[in-house]
Amino acid sequence: MDLGLTGKKAIIVGAARGIGMAVAEILAREGCDLAITARSEDGVKDAVANLRKYGTKVIGSAVNVKKADDYKTWLAETIDELGGCDILIPISSSGGGMGSEKYWHNAFEVDVMGPVRAVEAVLPGMTERKTGSIVLIATTSAGEAMGGPQAYNAMKASLITWGKQLALAHGKDGIRVNVVSPGPVEFEGGNWDMIKGTMEKFYTNTLRQQPQGRLGTPEEIARAIAFLASPAASWCNGSHLVVDGGYTNRTHF
Amino acid sequence: MDVKRKVDIIRVNPQDWPNGTPAGKAEDPDHGHDIIPAERYFSPDYMALEWERVWTKVWLLAGRSDDLKVEGDYICTDIGKESVLIVRQSDGSLRAFPNVCLHRGNRLRPEGLGNTAEFRCMYHHWAYGLDGAITRIPDLGSFPQGGPPEGRLPSLPTGEWGGFVWFSLNPDVEPLADYLGMIPAHLDPYHFERMAWKRDITVEWDCNWKASMDAFHENYHVQGIHPQLQWYLDDVNVQIDCYDKHSRYLVPFATVSPRVALPSSIPPAIDHMMRHAGMDPAEYEGRVSDIRLDLQRFIRANASAQGKDFSELNDDQLTDDYHYSIFPNVSMNIHAEDIMMFRQRPHPTDPGKMLYDLWMFELVPDGEEWPARVRHQHFKHGDKSLGQVLDQDAFNLPTVQKGMQSSAFKGLWLSDQELRIRHFHHVLDQYIGGARAAQADNKQLGDNECN
Ligand code: FES
Ligand SMILES: [Fe+2]
Repeated sequence: MDLGLTGKKAIIVGAARGIGMAVAEILAREGCDLAITARSEDGVKDAVANLRKYGTKVIGSAVNVKKADDYKTWLAETIDELGGCDILIPISSSGGGMGSEKYWHNAFEVDVMGPVRAVEAVLPGMTERKTGSIVLIATTSAGEAMGGPQAYNAMKASLITWGKQLALAHGKDGIRVNVVSPGPVEFEGGNWDMIKGTMEKFYTNTLRQQPQGRLGTPEEIARAIAFLASPAASWCNGSHLVVDGGYTNRTHF
Repeated sequence: MDVKRKVDIIRVNPQDWPNGTPAGKAEDPDHGHDIIPAERYFSPDYMALEWERVWTKVWLLAGRSDDLKVEGDYICTDIGKESVLIVRQSDGSLRAFPNVCLHRGNRLRPEGLGNTAEFRCMYHHWAYGLDGAITRIPDLGSFPQGGPPEGRLPSLPTGEWGGFVWFSLNPDVEPLADYLGMIPAHLDPYHFERMAWKRDITVEWDCNWKASMDAFHENYHVQGIHPQLQWYLDDVNVQIDCYDKHSRYLVPFATVSPRVALPSSIPPAIDHMMRHAGMDPAEYEGRVSDIRLDLQRFIRANASAQGKDFSELNDDQLTDDYHYSIFPNVSMNIHAEDIMMFRQRPHPTDPGKMLYDLWMFELVPDGEEWPARVRHQHFKHGDKSLGQVLDQDAFNLPTVQKGMQSSAFKGLWLSDQELRIRHFHHVLDQYIGGARAAQADNKQLGDNECN
């Protein structure tokens, strides 16, 4: 099956590691031109250098999503430099945390306003060209309780609602918006890597809840994201795809 | 070293802190690369030699000065087959004597703390004053030979340093200050006397006391036994310093080991450390690898407002573990606000067992009330949890003790990361071989000649 990604222009916010990095890798391999960003300068530089091996145009620079003005400038300049944007995947997250009100601000700025500002930046161009695909990244922790009451889960949940609304509002312009909710994903330097090292019991309990007895890999999530982002998923709009190896109990009627 | 990342740990420049704990690297001693023979961990003969040439010769840690506040306060502590009473006198001085009644040998007091006006033996009510002198022998007339002619319990050397009480079974031991050597200069800046008891636990462990000392003398086992600590400290960039009898290593805390990938979120233990200092991890904008230095700056800026005087400590001491061992049996994890220390005592008869005293102290900030003395707990290995890290050590050591007795195991095969183990056994060998005792005698001779 051809995903039809060759020649598409994609922006990935948060592509220096983990799922974002894996998505970038697939899109580059499939022939997309890419613009990426992340918090860490070194991380972006390394990722850009790595992604260029597939021969498409890859640009990128570091930006702090929390700094709204810098971020908006980055988005505007990037769309310009890339020559438009067909695919947007904003994936940056401030992560979890409890015990400080500040976590709510962080999650709002990064997990919610990160995607909101990016979507607003790409919508005019997509609307004009009557084509575009946006994939928002939520979490299985939005649909099932996990890790205690915290901003991360609640803020990620808002993306599922908002994603559906976007899909309904912009479908007429040929813009598809879908949401992917990954279950626990393990990769070196990721949260679950640290949890495995520091909270062994919690980790093994989580493994036990996974039908296949392991956590997901970034590639396994990235392939689902890449599919929804691609023209191959032309009839997927407003969908919410849980990619968790069967981790969650909920049935989706 | 098998690492995933290269990590440059920034340490203080020792010259910037001329009056504090010397932070510079000491020159490594050359102790060669031979094995440390295994026999010393289980041989009854070696145990007897240790008793004769180490335990009855050196200064030993007894307890805390703040447990001996007023006249009649005493500490009763056991070492091997001996038990010692250390008593606060009316003039504020300390006296120590064996905890044994001269009549028929009953112990005068059980191990522990107390306050008394006299030590009266339970058996036949012989009584001793706080200075150890016999004050009453019931029915004295029924002893035709009279009372013991010396009229008192023998005196043992005792002294105080750093808020701790020390004693020796050796009447001719060198002065405590000479024995401690560089230790006071290194550790006085912490002001241990400002710290109060937090935990006081004795556990019987199924291993030789030296197996426990060895475990606390290296960070090489973090990756194997304490993998979770790799998200809390740097077990690779450790500065090891050996001194005359004692040794230390400096372990950077609030940082992530080069052995694991750098996480993008703050590890739980580092998060906890930041919160304890009053720093909100949610507000932190830097990278995980920047936290250690930022935390040092934060503590430096905020400590005095929190009633904590760290003016004599260098910046590294605000986050890092300065781990000292005082020969033969004291290991101390020292931090600006707390000490977690261990006193490892030999079992009276079994070389395969030991007494592990876990002592924890916490700084009492200015203006806060001195907390009530925690109760001493005593239990057997495995009966109760000591907390994750110490349980991990405790779980491991009995299998070490068993394994070392295999005829296939000749001795410890040590790396440079385990230099402190080598140094410890070198000093032990000096005592066992008699070289140290001779040194101490010469020193005393020299002192006497000067007098
Ligand atoms: S043994 Fe102490 S009074 Fe008899
Ligand atoms: Fe340990």
